[in-house]
Amino acid sequence: MTVLISGGVKNGKSYHAQRIAHRLAGDAPLYYIATMIPHDTEDEQRIARHISDREGWGFETIECPCDILRCFDSAKPEGVFLLDSTTALLSNEMFLNDGRINHAAAEKIAEELCVFAKNAGGLVIVSDSIYSDAIIYSDLTEEYRMGLAYIDRAIAKICDIVLEICCGTVVCHKGELKE
Amino acid sequence: MHLIIGGAYQGKLEYARERFGLMDEDISLCPDDREPDFSRCCLYHIERFVLFCLRNGRSPAEEIDKWRRTHSGGVIICEDIFCGVVPTDKETRIWREAVGRFMSWAAEQSEGVVRIFCGLPQVLK
Repeated sequence: MTVLISGGVKNGKSYHAQRIAHRLAGDAPLYYIATMIPHDTEDEQRIARHISDREGWGFETIECPCDILRCFDSAKPEGVFLLDSTTALLSNEMFLNDGRINHAAAEKIAEELCVFAKNAGGLVIVSDSIYSDAIIYSDLTEEYRMGLAYIDRAIAKICDIVLEICCGTVVCHKGELKE
Repeated sequence: MHLIIGGAYQGKLEYARERFGLMDEDISLCPDDREPDFSRCCLYHIERFVLFCLRNGRSPAEEIDKWRRTHSGGVIICEDIFCGVVPTDKETRIWREAVGRFMSWAAEQSEGVVRIFCGLPQVLK
């Protein structure tokens, strides 16, 4: 079972993702794929908040900011994986530490996630809807937006369930969420 | 008239092509500095035509009303640029509101409105 969850920022995507992953797992191992590389204290606070939100759900954390298939090096593939988020993953893989840009990052991630979904017992993916405003972005930001949307669409195609979270409310765009 | 709405890169045009069997020669990409080719039955990026109208003191609703008389099953595709933060730039701000107003009018006139999310259609009307 593969589930994609997207929507606006701080609308409750992570909460629903954790809940759904937890339920999907049953007795199987439950993994949280941590993608964010903290750049400042704001990021550190964000991460601390996510960690405390996850307490008690039974997640084992895998630090994997890029090359997502490496998760299988240590995790049991029959487990259920929560990837939060493709937004951070693309940023890590596209904007390299030495300042270079990997223009092929989005395609690579989309391909790897499709392979991941096929091999994992379950996968819940969190993304962000960043596509609905009138701001004219720089070419690079526009390329990032285009890349993230490419990943979203590629995943949505193979997902069993696609959900949009709006103010904590779930809108189902594909499949059926059995509560 | 049919409306297809959604964020950037969501697969709006691809959906329109499949659903309405559109070919390249049916689709008019709207520029913001001149009129689109109104002989075609699909107007893509209509929000840019709204900007053109704004800059030239024309009413997008009046223009599209004329267009749809000769294209009863016409398809309009719009990027929903009206969901973000209020832009600091004045023209962008006015444009964003004009698109919102125009699309509300257009949705009322349309027999179908579909929103595309991650390549998936959500029927609004």
